[in-house]
Amino acid sequence: MTSERLILRDIVKTFEMPTIDMNSTIKNAIERMIELNNYSLLVPRKNKNDAYGIVTKKDIISKVLAEGKNPSKVKVKDIMSKPLVILTNLSLDIRWVAKAMANSQVSTIAVFDRGDFYGYVTEACVLDGVYNAMRRAKLEQGVEFVSC
Amino acid sequence: MELRDVVKGIMPVKISVESTAADALIAMMESKTDFLLVERTSIDDAYGIVTQRDIVEKAVAEGNDLSEVPITDIARKPLVVTNNLDLDIRWIAKKMADENVSKLAVFDRDNFMGFVSDIDLLMAAIMDTHEQPAKEAN
Repeated sequence: MTSERLILRDIVKTFEMPTIDMNSTIKNAIERMIELNNYSLLVPRKNKNDAYGIVTKKDIISKVLAEGKNPSKVKVKDIMSKPLVILTNLSLDIRWVAKAMANSQVSTIAVFDRGDFYGYVTEACVLDGVYNAMRRAKLEQGVEFVSC
Repeated sequence: MELRDVVKGIMPVKISVESTAADALIAMMESKTDFLLVERTSIDDAYGIVTQRDIVEKAVAEGNDLSEVPITDIARKPLVVTNNLDLDIRWIAKKMADENVSKLAVFDRDNFMGFVSDIDLLMAAIMDTHEQPAKEAN
């Protein structure tokens, strides 16, 4: 089985997640998403007692566009999801990472390692991980893997 | 802005109904797309669609070997369809939110026009506000 050996540590993106201020407008958020080609933005917390938030393309579609609201009038803080869905166990099997996404109906999960922000994992990360594992498995078997 | 302004007339990458989730993943990665159209077997059959989300939530999350999961187990079938090209993008967004999908198939009467994705709507939404800054004056 190809996905068995994969754990969260193998697929998590450790570079910083792009952020957006909670007082920015949704129009700014969309522009930033398109510019960075990254459709989830982290909303930093104000102080230690506050929680991090996140705003994704799905939030914008269902809470702004579908309600007929003007993206330049709505602020990020009005529609963001807060607190984040997080995982802390870096040795978690990829299967359970996928299941966590399915259970919470989210596409991005923040990863914390001993209380520090470690990175994030998206649906695309999971699929990249599985795809690369499949490719490695095929190469090890000596079967020529068709790729262009 | 209306649906006809945002729909993309590009034919999506197709995959046969006999394929597996592993085939779908490979096809997606190689053609750098995030969804595939699942072909129908006959004229009275429906087309299906497979997205990244379907593979993650219905195959990887269940711990199954992707090469043993038939595509029909994870594909969404029939497609979520819209056929009014004059529809405001607000209602396209609402339909996506209600149906919990990220892609809608667009038909003009009986003719397949293409797909519209959530990202197309986001792009249209900021263009809309550039053109008509005072639209929300009511």
